[in-house]
Amino acid sequence: MQQPAKKMKKVMVPRVVDGKETMVEIEVEDTGDSPKWGPNNAHRLLNKNITRVDAPLKVTGAAIYSYDVRLPGMLYGRILRSPHAHARITKLDTTAAERIPGVRAVTVVPSAAVVEGSQKATEEADKKNPIKVGGTAQPASNAVLKIVRFEGEPVAAVAALTPEIADDAIRAIVVEYQALPHAVEARLAMKPDAPKVMPEGNIKAASKSGDREKVAAAIAGCDAIIEAEYSTPTVHHACLETHGMVVDYRGGNTATAYASTQGTFTIPGDTAKELGLPESAVTAVVEHMGGGFGAKFGIGVEGKLACQLSKQTKAPVKMMLTRTDEFLFAGNRSGSWQKLKGGAMADGTLVALDATQYRLGGLGDGSQANQPYVYRPTQSYREVSSVYTNQDSSRAMRAPGHPQASFAIECLIDDLAAKINIDPIVFRKKNLPDTIYHRQIDRGAREIGWERRNKTPGGSAGPLKRGMGCAVGTWGAGGGPSCVVDVNVARDGAVVVAVGSQDLGTGTRTYTRAIIAEELGLSISDVLEKIGNSKLGNANASGGSTTVPSLAPALKDAAVNARLAVAGKVAPLLGIKPEEVIFADGKLSGGGKSLAWKQACAALPASGISARGAWKEPLQARGVHGVCFAEVEVDIETGFVRPIKMVHVQDIGLPLNRLAVASQINGGMIQSLGMALYEGRVMDAQLGIMLNPSFNDYKLPGTLEMPQLVSIIDDEDLREAVLGVGEPSLIPAVGAVANAVFNACGIRVRELPITPDKILMGMMKEERQKS
Amino acid sequence: MADERDDNSNKPEAPPDPGRRKFLKGVGVVGAGAAIADQLLLHASEQAKPAAAGGASVEQGAADVVLNVNGQKRTARVETRTTLLNAMRNHLEPQVSGPKLVCDQGTCGACTVLLDDKPVYSCLVLAVDATNKKITTVEGLGTLGKLNEVQTAFVEKDALMCGFCTPGFVTTISAYLKKNPNPSLDQVKEACKGNFCRCGTYPHVFEAALSAAKTIAMNNPLALGTESEVRS
Ligand code: FES
Ligand code: FES
Repeated sequence: MQQPAKKMKKVMVPRVVDGKETMVEIEVEDTGDSPKWGPNNAHRLLNKNITRVDAPLKVTGAAIYSYDVRLPGMLYGRILRSPHAHARITKLDTTAAERIPGVRAVTVVPSAAVVEGSQKATEEADKKNPIKVGGTAQPASNAVLKIVRFEGEPVAAVAALTPEIADDAIRAIVVEYQALPHAVEARLAMKPDAPKVMPEGNIKAASKSGDREKVAAAIAGCDAIIEAEYSTPTVHHACLETHGMVVDYRGGNTATAYASTQGTFTIPGDTAKELGLPESAVTAVVEHMGGGFGAKFGIGVEGKLACQLSKQTKAPVKMMLTRTDEFLFAGNRSGSWQKLKGGAMADGTLVALDATQYRLGGLGDGSQANQPYVYRPTQSYREVSSVYTNQDSSRAMRAPGHPQASFAIECLIDDLAAKINIDPIVFRKKNLPDTIYHRQIDRGAREIGWERRNKTPGGSAGPLKRGMGCAVGTWGAGGGPSCVVDVNVARDGAVVVAVGSQDLGTGTRTYTRAIIAEELGLSISDVLEKIGNSKLGNANASGGSTTVPSLAPALKDAAVNARLAVAGKVAPLLGIKPEEVIFADGKLSGGGKSLAWKQACAALPASGISARGAWKEPLQARGVHGVCFAEVEVDIETGFVRPIKMVHVQDIGLPLNRLAVASQINGGMIQSLGMALYEGRVMDAQLGIMLNPSFNDYKLPGTLEMPQLVSIIDDEDLREAVLGVGEPSLIPAVGAVANAVFNACGIRVRELPITPDKILMGMMKEERQKS
Repeated sequence: MADERDDNSNKPEAPPDPGRRKFLKGVGVVGAGAAIADQLLLHASEQAKPAAAGGASVEQGAADVVLNVNGQKRTARVETRTTLLNAMRNHLEPQVSGPKLVCDQGTCGACTVLLDDKPVYSCLVLAVDATNKKITTVEGLGTLGKLNEVQTAFVEKDALMCGFCTPGFVTTISAYLKKNPNPSLDQVKEACKGNFCRCGTYPHVFEAALSAAKTIAMNNPLALGTESEVRS
């Protein structure tokens, strides 16, 4: 029989590869009617404060994370890292390590498993440099890593009875290196005579746009011009649960991988390939996971090594990275270096911007949003390139490229406003065409008390100077058609919703339940969710704030289908039509009759009813804003900055769970505060190594740094659609804090993090200029 | 105020003031003063110098330990160098995995447990030093059916996201409220300064701590300590 041709329509959706988002056009089935969320204030559970369904497990220590998985006969893996930024391995001998009692397997890193970015360069070098390998650890292909291209690059790995013995074994592996010249600083790597990081050169031009001459002419006619350089260091995700997984493979036909990942479905394929199994033979399990922030997609080199070791030993292997590993080869936010020149007229019109942007992603390309970011001067020019250095490749990190770009342009905007002596928020509003920013700026300004701020930067009396700053951001936050949700209602009234998606700490489990409960008129505790398993319905990886807008529409669709299916069976009992059945307060009612949920479900067939849901485009939207205000106090005698208060206003369409959204906005502000004031990788240019790969020396914001934090959901967003909030909540705070420091003390620090020494240096320079 | 977990005074065998952050364990790792020097030494000893062939240096000796965890006597065979954290997570059967391994160097607080009711970083305590002491982990503070006041407040105030730091915070705060049942916001911040959260739950953690203190006070009005008992 001929199937009628499906009606298709084209939609733009974000595609996230390794956490990096690009928009692509796809065709989806045009199913006509989509369910609707209805007005934001018409919900019973959604858009309210819902306590997390997994919170009791997490506060009692009962939640089992991948790091906590312990299986009978399990071995512990450990990785040996290169101590050099660039070196040739001349000898690798694992004999001594293999002799240590308790060591079960040693493997060397095949050259194909190197961390993203270094692969091409490595392959070329490998051809020319045969090395001597001792011990029994070489892989069959003998494709051993011969050149290391960054400090921390994995070289070998072991599996042992305990992590302590694995540590011993790592130390007993003999590696001889012949150090090669390296370049770990972008500015040095850009010099013509710099050591070659990549065979094709250390600078890769990415894109150019605009007419530079026109921009120069426009700037020349401006009343105020600012020309400056902005730089941000490499910043780390620092998820508390490190990367890694437990591979449960005992030589049979199937395997299970317990992974700390943002993408349950990014695990089985790679794992299967390493183990030599078909993809369907591998199940990925992600019950609970301890933070990702963009760094955890795929099995990574650590997963490949775990599979290798498991295959060798026919035993489960737990390979969780150490904190040092995590800093040295598990990804980071790329650094940035931006040269901006902008001009404005005295009436507050931003006229032109010239931007040269360098992404500093180590061996990777790095990321940086294009200037002029959210502003639209009449004339603008930009050129963007990547500069390669002998450092591990950057990865996506919460709003890849955006805080770097927002910081630079927002500092420039603030400086221009100061130069033409106009209130920076008035200046912003004049130059932001999108008026949603205007209402968010007004809301935030009210909350922080903007009228109290210094009218002249550094103008207040005394050594403790207070100041306020503002900045804005933008993000896509839309979803795509990848999720398949199944709902089952049993005859005893039990409701189970299942989808393979993962909860990174964002509250996926909770809204998964809530959307179903809302539709069926039940309470949260009446529904059980099953997530974090690749044998359940497909789901997208959690990157780019796409989880909610991809998953929630499918949940809603499944919920509606489940409701209709139940109504179809119960309506005859009530003597009404299925569409007339009202689901509320744990009851089904209509026609003057009412049945308790369990009573009603007794009318279902023995197997209950099953309903499936798919993505519905109209249930989600795309494009969010976000404004942050910060107040700080600067001690001009010590240069110390104390954050006082931060306010973030965020549009998010329909907030599924206000409590979790507030938490996530707080988290965005705090990570951004860290980037503004505390965090940054410190490299030794001569030795080529990172000086602070530990929580002792890499400063994370802690309790003592916490200002008062106010997260505001912009309830004037009436889109009746869901959007993600993970990325947008992080973007603007870094610029807001930098601008607050400037407003407080009159010193503009353009190199993050804003540490006391930089403020004191700024004061000194200012003094000198005065005298 | 010194972080309570800095204080090694309850360890008679400890050398004078080792300082929690210089107490490095393992083979051939040397503690040094300045952070950068620390790092360079770590680089040198951990990575560059292979141990003597044959790995003779690893013989640490095994020990049978009896650990009193959450009111139960538990036995395990560990190496003398095994930390209390690793003993609980990797050797006890069934495991006690509420306390998390995050930094393994006494910085983050995710491994916090109570040793004779005092919070310690269990990644810096050797299992063999924890025998004959009362060990309380987050699992011992409350159970799924009966959360303690701090755990309840954490649920209500959404004081957790990924939850990896949560066992540490819950343990630290539960112990602190015993010592200071009526803390100010600043005192709560001070009490948790040895705990990191990367998801950014701090504001809700503070709210939860203050709210738990209120609940405790309401439930046992007589238990309120006097100001002089409160160490500042
Ligand atoms: S793991 Fe013990 S303090 Fe971080
Ligand atoms: S909740 Fe994730 S680290 Fe604290």
